[in-house]
Order: sequence, then C-alpha cells, then structure tokens
Amino acid sequence: MKKKHDEMICTEDLTFEYIRRDEEGNVEGITTAVDDVNISINPGEFISILGHNGSGKSTLAKHFNALLYPTEGTVWVDGNDTSNLQNLWNIRQEAGMVFQNPDNQIIGQIVEEDVGFGPENIGIPTKEIWERVEESLKAVGMYEFRKNSPNHLSGGQKQRVSIAGVIAMHPKCIILDEPTAMLDPNGRKDVIRAARALNQVENITIILITHYMEEVIYSDRVYVMDKGHVEMQGTPREIFSQVDRLKELRLDVPQVTLLAHELKMRGLPLEDGILTIEELVDQLKKIRK
Amino acid sequence: MLRDITLGQYYQTDSVIHRLDPRVKISTTLLFIISLFIVDNFAGYIIGALFLAAIIKLSHVPVKFIFKGMKAIYMLLAITMIFNLFLTPGTPIFTLWKLKVTIEGIKTATMMGIRLVFLITGSSIMTLTTTPNQLTDGLESLMNPLKRLNVPVHEISMMMSIALRFIPILLEETDKIMKAQMARGADFESKSLIKKAQSLVPLLVPLFISAFRRAGDLAMAMESRCYRGGEGRTKMKPLIYRKRDFIAYGIVVVYFVLCIIIGKILF
Repeated sequence: MKKKHDEMICTEDLTFEYIRRDEEGNVEGITTAVDDVNISINPGEFISILGHNGSGKSTLAKHFNALLYPTEGTVWVDGNDTSNLQNLWNIRQEAGMVFQNPDNQIIGQIVEEDVGFGPENIGIPTKEIWERVEESLKAVGMYEFRKNSPNHLSGGQKQRVSIAGVIAMHPKCIILDEPTAMLDPNGRKDVIRAARALNQVENITIILITHYMEEVIYSDRVYVMDKGHVEMQGTPREIFSQVDRLKELRLDVPQVTLLAHELKMRGLPLEDGILTIEELVDQLKKIRK
Repeated sequence: MLRDITLGQYYQTDSVIHRLDPRVKISTTLLFIISLFIVDNFAGYIIGALFLAAIIKLSHVPVKFIFKGMKAIYMLLAITMIFNLFLTPGTPIFTLWKLKVTIEGIKTATMMGIRLVFLITGSSIMTLTTTPNQLTDGLESLMNPLKRLNVPVHEISMMMSIALRFIPILLEETDKIMKAQMARGADFESKSLIKKAQSLVPLLVPLFISAFRRAGDLAMAMESRCYRGGEGRTKMKPLIYRKRDFIAYGIVVVYFVLCIIIGKILF
C-alpha cells in the first residue's frame, strides 16, 4: 500500500460521537466528543494537547492508538488508516499509550515483568525481551527498581515504569494521556523529564495530553481543545501570549506568564508570551537599564 | 490494618527447593497428597515423615514458620479426630457415658490426624518456597494439555496473576472506603451479626464499582499494549527443566513407589 501521509499522526475531519442508550438499547442522545478535528503531527515533534475536563482531548488521544474509531473522518498513524483492522497491531505497537491511573495499567507483579509484557505480546524472543527491558528501564531511570513490586513504588515511579513498558515495544510515538494528573509535584517533574529525554535522545514523537500549563512550555507545538474543537494552535509562546483567550477557555496560564501579562497591561514594555522566570527577570533587567 | 495480610505467604530465602521448577513442586505436592491417602499403616507414615523432614531441612524455611500456618486448622483437626475416635465401630476398650471408644477408632483417629497435618505441611512448603507468579506459570504449563479440550488455560492463568496483582490494591482501597464511611458515621465495630452484615453494604458497593472501573481501565491498557490472548505470545521467563528438576522427579517417584510397597503391600 502506498503511504498516503508522511506525518506521524494525521487526522482528517475527525468526528467522534458517544451514543448514550437507555436500558432497552434505544438511543437517548448523542454527545459529540470530538468535532471535525484536523491535526497533523510530524515525526520527532513534542506536541501538547491542552484542554479542561470534557474538552475531548482524551477521546482524541484514544484514536491515535486505535482504541476508538472515528464516527466520521479518518486517522492515519504513520500512514496507516486506523479503521483498517489489518493495521491494528501495527498501530498499537508504533503508537504506545500511557494512561492516567498508574495502578490500572501495570499488569506484572514485578517491575521487570511488567515492562516485558508488551514485548511478550508481540512475540519477541526471550533473549531480546531481556535486552529491551533493561534498556527501557535505564531510559526512564528505574533500572535499580527492576526486582521491586509495583505496589511499593510512588506514583511518579509507577508512571515511569508504564512509560518503560511502552518504550520496550520500540514505538515511534508515545501518547501520554494525562500521565501526571494523579501525581505529586515531584513525580510530575520526573515523568515530564523522562518524556522530554525520550523525545530529545531517542527522537520519539511525544504527544502529551494535560491540563497543567507548566508542562506545556517545553513542547514544539500546542493544540488547545474546547468542546471537541481545536480552538488554538501554535508554539507555546504564541499560545501564552493570548492570555485573555485562554481565560475564556477556562484554562490557567502559568504564573510567570500571568504576572508578565498584568505588568504589561500596567504599561511595562514587556514582550508577549513570557514562559519562564528567567525570561521575565532578563526583560525586567533590560527595562531598568 | 488490612495491609498486613500477605497472600501466598512466600518465604524469601535461597535453597534448592526454592530454585526447583514450579512444575516439579506442584506435581510433587500432588503425588505426596495421593501417597498419604494410599498408605494405611504406620510404617508408611514414617517414610512420609522422613520425606517431609528432609524437604523442610532442604528448604531453609524455619520449622516455626511452617507450623504457624497450622493454627488455622486446629479446630478442624480436633473435630475430625473426635468424630473418628467415638464413631468408628469395632472392639470397645471403654465406654464413656454413651460413647464407645474402640481400638479401630483410636487407630483411624491418629491416622486422620497424621494425614491432615502432613497434608497441610506439605502444601504449605510448596507455597512458602514458590512465588505466586511461579505458581501460576507452573499451573499454566501443567494444564497445557487441557487446551485440546478447549479449556482456556492461558486465560485462566492470566486471570489468576491479575487477581494476585490487584489483591493489595483492592485491600488498600477497602481500607480507604472504610475510613471514609467511618468519617460519615458508619459503624463497623458493632457486635451484632445483623448490624455487621448491614454495615458491609456501604463498603462493598463502592468497592465493586471501583473494581469494575479498574477492570475496564486495565483491559484498555492491555489492549493498547498489543495483548491478544495467548497465541503468538513469547515468554520473558520461560520454564525450563534443569538437571536438578529431573533428579527431584526421580526422588519423588522412588518415594512414591516405596510408600506403596511399604504402606500397602509389605504389611
């Protein structure tokens, strides 16, 4: 089959509807969770998808792993149409997925066995499974915990084990569906650091779905979703320079960006979309001179 | 409080018995139990006792630890022995009120007692020296021939290992729900049996709902990691018989034959 799309992930007029049924199976109502979404993600990019609860971002993410199929439109993962069943296992191996609750996605009773679960499923020989387990646990910095029970790890550590479990399948792309929502600030930092390292060192495409603004600033591009639509897209700087628009979409802006925005409103000649404390300090110093 | 429960009661140490293939240990335990019920004289039980003692010695599990597990069956043991003692017909020795004690009664009662104690000791050595994981792996491999009869062997063992993985998580959750309900005035300490049963409802309903939600999440996570049943699956830790496993099988067969000869034919 000739590849139609060179992008890592590409959607065309993607629409997904949840159909609610009553007890007899009659249609009670239809909720459109994703509505006419067109996005394209290139290999090696670090993409964030932002949105508050119910904006359709998780539903969108499940399409990238062929866990859900579009009601209308098409999704291509590495040139493969997800609605074609023949591509299913290929897609799931190429686009790995990490979910929100770390407890509900670890299958093994020992860390290394859990990481080996994916490779076992795709029929990798025993010797190579061990090599892959070792290399993926090292990539997320969890190698010394390989013999531990997952029940004795912290949330951030469990989530890094889940990431290792995905890396062991040698994917081209990892979709992280709110991986930090249930973690403490330290665990959150570790998980994001691991994702960034994979993106920069291994050149794996990362799609991070989140509602924490601070996690977005390192991404190449950001999509902001609301009510199933893509409302904004651009670099983090472009997105965060539109503070008022973000507030309309009920999203919080990082504190530094907000502070810079307020200062600018009061007349300080600052640039738009300041993302880090260092940037703000630099600019303020320039103004003093 | 609930977190202290350990299941499978694996005793972590290194010994020959620990290193044996789980399949050897499962089939040995089975053969040992069968031998206990074939043998019906005391000479045979001496062999059994020697065999058990040798295994305990080899397993490096402290004897105290093994007999701790026996506490649970004291009652059962006492009841079995008393019934056998008084209700076996035969030549009476003395009569206690309306109950006759017979020579046969004493013999069967002691035998039943020995059988039960050996049975529990034997099987607890297996669980003490084998991790739950190895046990499910071993069972899957031993039940493999049943696949021809369309028994979903792989699925059963996968369910067992997932159940084992989720026991501590669900226990923790029970603890949490219990505290949450207690904070709202639920009474879990009532002595009355009916009240106790009633108080379980606000505990079990949320627990079941959450268990089902977890099951759904887990199924999705497994699918997204390409799980599609046992077909075409490779093993990270395949079970491979080594020299010591064959030696162990040999010893067990010799023990079994000896048991039959001494316990059944010779006396």
